[in-house]
Amino acid sequence: MRLMPKDLEKLLREPLLHFLLVGSAIFAVDRLVSKRGGEDPELIVISEGRIAALAEGFARNWQRPPTSEELEGLIRDRVREEVYCREALALGLDQEDPVIRHRLRQKMEFITNDVAALAEPTDAELSAYLDAHPDVFRVQPQFSFAHVYLNLERHGENLERDAAQLLAQLKQAGAHVDVPTLGDPFLLEHEFQAVPLAEVGKLFGETFATALGHCPRGQWQGPVESGYGAHLVLVHELTEGRIPVLGEVRDAVRREWANAHRLDANEKLYQELLKRYSVIIERPQPVEGQKKLAARR
Amino acid sequence: MTILARSPRVGLRLPLLVLVIPALLLSVPCRASTQDEIKRAFDADDGVVGEQTAVHSAADDEARKRFSPFAGKKYPPRVYFGDTHNHTSNSGDAFMAGNRLTPEQAYRFARGEELMSTTGVPAKLSRPLDFLVVSDHAEGLGVMFQVYDGNPAFASDPTLARWSKAMKAGGQEATATMRELVSAQAQGKLPAPVTDPKVVGPIMKSVWQQYTATAEGFNEPGRFTAMIGFEWTSVPGGNNLHRNVLFRDGKEKADQVLPFSAWQSEDPEKLWEWMAQYEQKTGGKLLAIPHNGNLSNGRMFELVDFAGNPLTRDYAERRARFEVLQEVMQTKGNSETHPTLSPNDEFADFGIAGWEYGNLTLEDKPETPEMRPTMYLRGGLLQGLLQEQKYGANPFKFGFIGGTDVHNSLTAVEEDNYYGKHIDQEPSPGRWATEAKKGFGFTRYNWQYEAAGYAAVWATENTREALWDAMKRKEVYATSGTRMTVRFFGGWNFSGADARGRHVADAGYQKGVPMGSDLPKPAAGAKAPSFLVAAMKDPLGGNLDRIQIVKGWVGKDGKPNEAIYDVVWGDAAQRKPDRDGKLPPVGDTVDVASASWTNTIGDPELAGAWTDPDFDPSLRAFYYARVIEIPTPRWTAYDALRFDVKMAPEVPMKHQERAWASPIWFTPAK
Repeated sequence: MRLMPKDLEKLLREPLLHFLLVGSAIFAVDRLVSKRGGEDPELIVISEGRIAALAEGFARNWQRPPTSEELEGLIRDRVREEVYCREALALGLDQEDPVIRHRLRQKMEFITNDVAALAEPTDAELSAYLDAHPDVFRVQPQFSFAHVYLNLERHGENLERDAAQLLAQLKQAGAHVDVPTLGDPFLLEHEFQAVPLAEVGKLFGETFATALGHCPRGQWQGPVESGYGAHLVLVHELTEGRIPVLGEVRDAVRREWANAHRLDANEKLYQELLKRYSVIIERPQPVEGQKKLAARR
Repeated sequence: MTILARSPRVGLRLPLLVLVIPALLLSVPCRASTQDEIKRAFDADDGVVGEQTAVHSAADDEARKRFSPFAGKKYPPRVYFGDTHNHTSNSGDAFMAGNRLTPEQAYRFARGEELMSTTGVPAKLSRPLDFLVVSDHAEGLGVMFQVYDGNPAFASDPTLARWSKAMKAGGQEATATMRELVSAQAQGKLPAPVTDPKVVGPIMKSVWQQYTATAEGFNEPGRFTAMIGFEWTSVPGGNNLHRNVLFRDGKEKADQVLPFSAWQSEDPEKLWEWMAQYEQKTGGKLLAIPHNGNLSNGRMFELVDFAGNPLTRDYAERRARFEVLQEVMQTKGNSETHPTLSPNDEFADFGIAGWEYGNLTLEDKPETPEMRPTMYLRGGLLQGLLQEQKYGANPFKFGFIGGTDVHNSLTAVEEDNYYGKHIDQEPSPGRWATEAKKGFGFTRYNWQYEAAGYAAVWATENTREALWDAMKRKEVYATSGTRMTVRFFGGWNFSGADARGRHVADAGYQKGVPMGSDLPKPAAGAKAPSFLVAAMKDPLGGNLDRIQIVKGWVGKDGKPNEAIYDVVWGDAAQRKPDRDGKLPPVGDTVDVASASWTNTIGDPELAGAWTDPDFDPSLRAFYYARVIEIPTPRWTAYDALRFDVKMAPEVPMKHQERAWASPIWFTPAK
């Protein structure tokens, strides 16, 4: 039996339900972990279900079921853990422990995340998200280009002359050039196919990537400066950047939409919970030095 | 925080010709020129290159066919940079230190997005990384908890159906249900489906599965790889035996297990056992990367197993199968070697200060010289040769990789953009002076942490599978945080012409084997192995000082030896080795006050071939390449400038960044 999607959608928009789900789950988790309280504070019961869970946990870690001896060890350890946990709680050792507090907060957030994750976005929602954030999904301009590298160290003051000379040769020869045999040795490729702008920037530096964008197509140009030295470049093809349609970037849009949805759900829950509290913050008056530092920042 | 100064990047000695100006072109006489003229113009150093320079208009079809020398090539054309060692708030210690950023934020940052660090400093990389392994500590990560999330498996149970209805109703009814649930759990009387592992198993949510889901979301083959991994944090007595475990696989396989933690066992053999079982069960693949041998008090390459028994052939084989790489350098220093082990290595003191007092926690025992042969990587490789001689298998046959070990989710180890390892090391005026750890009368300070390092991987494409496969075959190198390109090949007939040619990689793969391999059988008539090595600067980094080859071998007397050779260096025209064969330093252009340097010394690109002058075919040996940059400012110099602070005189302000290419081994014929 499945919950109808419509019902589910309604449920998800119900903040109270969120809260209750969260509340019940957190208690459940807490009980599973520490089992404190109960009927008799001095009674420790390791139930059949618990034993099965211990065995299951072992199997997940070791990829085989525990031997009876190992299972006995797990049970003994569980009892020991239970005793320590109860004593620690009685002593208030869980208070102001940053790890425990983080864990609890994380559990709360995971639960909201789970609830948020139940919502499957419609195409309309995804399209709307894409329309609202076009730059996030923009397909970058892509370059197909060849280049000839000029090592500044080798050419020194003659670089300009040498570059101009080689450029003239390249222009004359047109497409019939064995590019990698020209110029100076270079450890990356000499020919690049459909490389996105950011990738060009990563490989050659921003200056080069920007300059490439201004190069007319089909003609040897240069020298263009990179982080390595100078290059003569031939842009074969430049595919302009554009806003994609949903079908091309559905996974990415879904990821970003889910992320936004999750943050939103977390924030809403937090605001809902926060309403139930009065918060007083007793700030100390800032001393002179701190003021100065704050101003500098 | 604002960036006050940027370093001059490339000392480009050419007028502003960023873009060609047509007028300028027209002014260049367009005269016909022979091929020889072109060659003379662009082979400034010699006329030896035997390649055809083809500028002509005939034989069109033929030229087009072989237009791209890389088309149809199987070998990796491009190197990918990333971090195999990033901790997020899912790591207990990272959280305790204050990290509040999740794996998702770690991925976003590595992909180049700007975000806010935990301490409120906006952070963005100079350039995106190609891949990231979020490797949170297994210990405490796999603590399971169950969440009631409306799974249909529960709806068939009458009690659960009732609870579900009550929760929908809300108010008192729901609260009562909550109590009932709590009570049932406390007494172990939960409805059957909730306690049935077969039902609960698949819906158990853990940090692990949340993490693998996040990794899946950010893994974009071809653009950015989110490789799944975790850290097994074995640290007996404070001696660092940590290993990162990397999955070749996606969520589907990774979710079939929970990370193996040191709480289960601190014995590396147990970890390998677990890895073998995973592979058998899922058909997936794993490898492990140990790190910080420098903090292991001699235990990283100890010559006994965890229980103290002598090693065996079986141990050696299993270790070599899974532990194919070692981290050379990261924020917690350099593990390559130590000046007392390598007194003739003038570059051995890099990343040592502050990390040679003792182990990770500065507990148990202080570090002594006797521990060092079995804790640094060069020593480990040597011990490996010795063990192989003894047992017929080499337990320490590993390549080099870099990682950061950052615990603030930010792989931000660029010197001018360093966010520290822990939260208390995020940018602030006083971060350099903070005491990190005390022990044995020593203090380790934050300024001794290094902005390092990167993993550089020669993969055929940017995917989990291709990157993992490259790691497995050790075709990787480590850097101290620079993104220089390094090629290294071993064979029997490399010559200077291969280094001067335009296709170093072509020659390398055709005539030899790449970094991380075993030398093939000697070619007929070959007397000694030869190596082809080439490097190109980081486009945003310093020029190159030199390329060295480090050789390690076991002598006839059964003793380990090492030697370091300068193969090729920058400014070669005016920089010659002295009578003792020592190369003079490259120089230093760093201006500490402005945290800047100029690339007016060194070379942007170096390539050379080297033949072992003292080769003995009866002795086991390894060779690895080390590429050294010219001096550049250290992160402390940028801090001093930006925060206008004066640091203690012992704080280093500049250094020579470097890369280490994985070794190539020679094994004598039987």
